[in-house]
Amino acid sequence: MDPVAPAPAPAALDPARLRGLQLAGVASGFTAGAWLGAAEAPTKMVVLGLSPVVISLAMVVGVFLARWSLPALLRGTTAIGADVRQAPHLVVWAVLAGCLWAVANTLTIYAIKDIGLSVAFPLWNANSLLGILWGAVFFNELRGAGWSRVVAVLGGAAVMCTGAALLAVASAAQAPAGHAARGVAAALAAGALWGTMYIPYRKAYLTGMNPLAFVTFFTVGELGMMSALALADRGGLGALVAELSGARDVLFWLLLGGFVWVVGDLFQQYAAKYVGISRGIPLSNTNQLWGLVWGLLVFGELHGGARATYAQVIGGSLLMALGAALIALASATGPEHRRWQEAAAREGQRYGIDPAVVRAGLAGESTAGPARRRTWLDWALVTSATAVFVALGLVARVPDLRLGWAWVAGLTLAMLALLGGTGILLWRTTRFN
Amino acid sequence: MTGRFAVMLRDAQFWVPVAVLVGGLLVLIWIR
Repeated sequence: MDPVAPAPAPAALDPARLRGLQLAGVASGFTAGAWLGAAEAPTKMVVLGLSPVVISLAMVVGVFLARWSLPALLRGTTAIGADVRQAPHLVVWAVLAGCLWAVANTLTIYAIKDIGLSVAFPLWNANSLLGILWGAVFFNELRGAGWSRVVAVLGGAAVMCTGAALLAVASAAQAPAGHAARGVAAALAAGALWGTMYIPYRKAYLTGMNPLAFVTFFTVGELGMMSALALADRGGLGALVAELSGARDVLFWLLLGGFVWVVGDLFQQYAAKYVGISRGIPLSNTNQLWGLVWGLLVFGELHGGARATYAQVIGGSLLMALGAALIALASATGPEHRRWQEAAAREGQRYGIDPAVVRAGLAGESTAGPARRRTWLDWALVTSATAVFVALGLVARVPDLRLGWAWVAGLTLAMLALLGGTGILLWRTTRFN
Repeated sequence: MTGRFAVMLRDAQFWVPVAVLVGGLLVLIWIR
């Protein structure tokens, strides 16, 4: 499997520094869960007969705008260009990961239609188990971790899957119509695609690439593949444009959902980088818990439901929280991190990348020297993305929905607190490297 | 094609996501 000769053993990371990076990674995983879970909320404002594929495309357009403007604002295109020049082949990996995401997301839409959320969600949520497998096989994750940590991560992921199944059963609104085999195949395929999507993530971060550079190219694959799928689904450009144009008064909410999703995904990238995919994926899968909290408290879902439903919600939530806590407490120790460094050194040697860049990337540092100033291109990207959001916001229609506004404020504050707290922690620990 | 891209094409890890993507597209075509 690996024709490259073993690379020389790199120097071990200072234990205090390793603890700091692990804490930043775990915090990023939990923050990712909160923001990814909230991304669904704006889309619930859209109550009309749009095709699911078109809804998904509109969200991806919001994702694309956010993925080009936020990295430009936080790091600048000059720094991103310098990152890419270190390892240009990673652009292909990023585009590939984006394509995997788009196909998986489309498959979930069909899976929900055919077998319902309650069966489909646990099937694709098994992506965390696949991520653990890829992490261990390809990137030395959980190697040298000790049995207690391996059991905690595997057990935590299994407990979270059980919790996810209970929550999905509770939140299933209606029984689906037929096509069970197709629905199961779609859900399993989505899980396989999402679990495998983390191979490019980990590959890039072991090689020293900055997450903010990776997502900029990831989204090219995401938008390209999603556009192709939407064109095929709608039967041509004219029909697709007509549907988007007819929905212009709700596009803002869909794009906003995409924007919120990107904030969560950025933290997910840092989790994958600093705690690996075997721990990062299950932690960000807590998004299901947050999605349910929004549904229950803000949109009044399950109101007046049976006692058994509430028992499932409480039991599933506790199980998910327990699994996440087990994984968070089983963070990587020195011996395991040494194995990560060996995997990173092997990658650097295979692709001829400067060992200093590889080492610095894994240690959360930069070899780029002093911070660069923002250029006109950075400001043009930020201004253009903002202008699109403002323009669509001006023509947006506020649907007549009864919402729990106090809960909207409370949950938004909690998300902003997580964003601010984890953002500061990441900045102090890694300078967003 | 530069050296790094040639190395990438010989990297077994590259073909795992490619194979899964092709499989996912085939499932999508089948269920539609």
